[in-house]
Amino acid sequence: MNGSELRLTGLTRVHGTGSAPALADFSLEVPAGACMAILGPSGSGKSTVLRLTAGLDEPTAGSVHLDGADLAGVLPERRGMAMVFQRPLLFPHLSVRDNVAFADRVRGVPRRTARRRAEEFLGLVQLDGFGDRPARALSGGQEQRVALARALAAEPRVLLLDEPFSALDARLREEMHELLADLRMRLDPTILLVTHDHAEAGALADGVAVLDRGRLLQAGPMRELYARPASLAVSRLLGGRTEVAGMVRSGVHRSPLGALALPRKVPDGPAVLVVRHEAVQVTTAADPAADAVGTVVRARRRGMRTLVTVEVPGDGGTAAVDAELEPGQEVPTGRTVGLRLPVEGRWVVPVDGVAVEPVAGAPRA
Amino acid sequence: MPPNRLRPRTRAVLLVLPALVPVVAVVGAALASAALLSLGLAPLVGEPQLSLDAYRGAAGDLGTGIGLSLGIAAAATLVATVVGLCLALAATAAVRRSRLLGALAALTIPIPHLVGAAAIGLLLADAGFLSRLLGVDPSSWPPLVGGPLWVAVVAEYAWKESAFVALVVAGVLSSRAASYGETAALLGAGRWARLRHVTLPLAAPALGATAAVSFVYTLGSYEVAALLGRAHPEPLPVLAYRLFTSIDLAARPQAAAVALTTAGLALVVVLLSLRALRRLAAER
Amino acid sequence: MTAPRAVLAASRAGRTLLAGWLVLPLVPLLLWAFADRWTFPAVLPQEWGTRGAEEALAAGAGGAFLTSTLLGTVVALLATPLGAVAGRALASRQVPGGTAVLAVLLSPLALPPFAVALGLDVLLLRLRIPAAAGVVVLLLVAALPYTVLTMRAAYAAHDRGFEDEARVLGATRWQTVRSVQLPLVAPALAGAAFLAFLVGWSDYIVTVLVGGGQLTTLPLLVASAASATGSDAQVAILSLTSILPPVALLLVVGSLGRRGRR
Repeated sequence: MNGSELRLTGLTRVHGTGSAPALADFSLEVPAGACMAILGPSGSGKSTVLRLTAGLDEPTAGSVHLDGADLAGVLPERRGMAMVFQRPLLFPHLSVRDNVAFADRVRGVPRRTARRRAEEFLGLVQLDGFGDRPARALSGGQEQRVALARALAAEPRVLLLDEPFSALDARLREEMHELLADLRMRLDPTILLVTHDHAEAGALADGVAVLDRGRLLQAGPMRELYARPASLAVSRLLGGRTEVAGMVRSGVHRSPLGALALPRKVPDGPAVLVVRHEAVQVTTAADPAADAVGTVVRARRRGMRTLVTVEVPGDGGTAAVDAELEPGQEVPTGRTVGLRLPVEGRWVVPVDGVAVEPVAGAPRA
Repeated sequence: MPPNRLRPRTRAVLLVLPALVPVVAVVGAALASAALLSLGLAPLVGEPQLSLDAYRGAAGDLGTGIGLSLGIAAAATLVATVVGLCLALAATAAVRRSRLLGALAALTIPIPHLVGAAAIGLLLADAGFLSRLLGVDPSSWPPLVGGPLWVAVVAEYAWKESAFVALVVAGVLSSRAASYGETAALLGAGRWARLRHVTLPLAAPALGATAAVSFVYTLGSYEVAALLGRAHPEPLPVLAYRLFTSIDLAARPQAAAVALTTAGLALVVVLLSLRALRRLAAER
Repeated sequence: MTAPRAVLAASRAGRTLLAGWLVLPLVPLLLWAFADRWTFPAVLPQEWGTRGAEEALAAGAGGAFLTSTLLGTVVALLATPLGAVAGRALASRQVPGGTAVLAVLLSPLALPPFAVALGLDVLLLRLRIPAAAGVVVLLLVAALPYTVLTMRAAYAAHDRGFEDEARVLGATRWQTVRSVQLPLVAPALAGAAFLAFLVGWSDYIVTVLVGGGQLTTLPLLVASAASATGSDAQVAILSLTSILPPVALLLVVGSLGRRGRR
């Protein structure tokens, strides 16, 4: 199986005249063999992108190109794609094997051949020997594996995944992530993945496009978006927690946290400092390398690690900074601590664009 | 947009039309034709002339027929609803559920009403099966078939419709009542309290709807009253049929008048039931 | 849950009464069907035999059985696809004025069949429409409410995602209908077809009023035998013949439905 290059250009979908577009002017390139994730909250239009790509819905404007060919007017069954939805949607009247053989059968492949190939794909998703079972006799994780095998057996030029793992529990989801990574190594399909979970996008995709209210906010490699979000909205969708409003003058951000030099030149003016909680280091109040000193006001356990919120009093207000502690590190609430904010971890985003909702502890401009 | 794909709304309209056209054509044509005939505008002989003669001519029989038809329908519906509810309760009871009653009710559904009438006739007539079972002589057996109280007619409708009520209400209860009943029992509700506060309110909408359907069906049904009733007075369908098949051509417009009156009556019942059901739904 | 002995006894008596209510009318039918002689006051027939069946055959029961089967089948074959297609459109909520359209489609339920037949009879005669065709059209209209309601409910519960999935996997529109949609709604289709068959099979008044004597169905034979005196055995055997096919169909449809749900 060799994936094709997918190019979406200016895709727009308006459902009724006068209503806000479900998707507005969305463009994205997915190189052959790559996996791109579309990340957004529910209702952001991310499923619309998949439906338009698959041809299940028609764009009000814009185009879908596959290996350079325009797909306008091409019926869904002729696009050479396959889709896995959040619900497994295994045909209940067919056996597991015949579900996987479905794409071959509707293309006229003889039953015997289609079934033999189906067994191969069941093997790929580690479900050898499940072929004879009725589709209703599987567990949730197995159902989604079969759905994946069924999609792969169609040998799609692009594989569309619409939150395929979000109904599974954490352990199964992890297993499916590993399975998908393994399948990518073996089959090299082009994948367009929709998810609301930035961790899933980070685990699976080479690049991500962040979508909100039908608009593309930012696209790029996952690491870059984590480190340099284009806006507060992107920062929040990627799980960013710390937002400190302030003013930039000659490459230095001034706020209740103090004057913090930025790694890159940015234009002067009001700006919000964002720092990933993973990058912040909590040290002692006496640490000479600390960039700020504050009080721990809240601590939440997250598995092995603890996430703390530190309030830093300063000129014109108080800033709240979230930090993830080292495994095993414990800091009680009320303790005064020092914070190291590595220069590489500092980033500022514009104040405008998105209305900055008042964040607890953040100074009001 | 590719030419072979229609807009969803256009497609939906095209899909509805094959069913909608015959219904509109038949119902519309039938009502219009009956109205014209009853108003003297489409006479079989002579000049069309607007008149209420047909309604006037049938007025006496029409009045008696309306009362009689409503009475039969009300009595049959009442018995069918009560018995149907009991059947549904027995068929969905949490303890000692009776699968047999459910199955028997289901098997009663496909029996044609006419066959039901024939069966009730064999059961209730003098020298019928019931009088033999009870050992009552034909001379002292009450006139159930063709008698003044229309007992056999009411019994047939009540018998058939009770099975219908039972199946629909049991369907509603079996899907919802068990869990609610258990919750209520955990909250300390006794057997009667559960019936009164959980089961009956759950069954009420389905019970009301099936009662309305039974009533309207009984009101407009011909064959049972024709077979098991008496010659005079006549319920509306029997009256209309006699007038329509009479050799006197002048009776045809009267038959149409009776038919339209029955249709109007049925429509009023339907609208009243819909209003009552909506109010019932709004109360909760 | 335990119940006092009196409640148990009352409950058992109530159930027996209810079962008797449902079964009792059918008992004389079964006995009379095979009774050659059964005079008052005997509780059981004195002579068993096939006189009723012979009389029924002589009255044309064979032909009437075929006519009724044909009528029911034609009504089912017409009303089921029309109801399925309309039910699907109504379930999709794309029909403008959907509630009004549904009300019109259900209106034959509220209208007395004799009133519709009587009104249309004059018109059919004037338009010279063959009586049999008139009967079929009227019964089709009477059956449509049942098929529309059944299929609308089935399609409302049907997940369109299955069809989207099939299309993306390469199935054409028609392949999707045939290999995904129809198998998924098959139990409902069988139920709808059964109800439509029943409308054609059971009808009496429309056949009498519009059929103009050209169609002799089983209900017509039952009625004529029942209104004559002294033919109780024939009435019984004709009635049983009218009951058995739909009951057998109901059992088949029921088992189909159970298989579909599993």
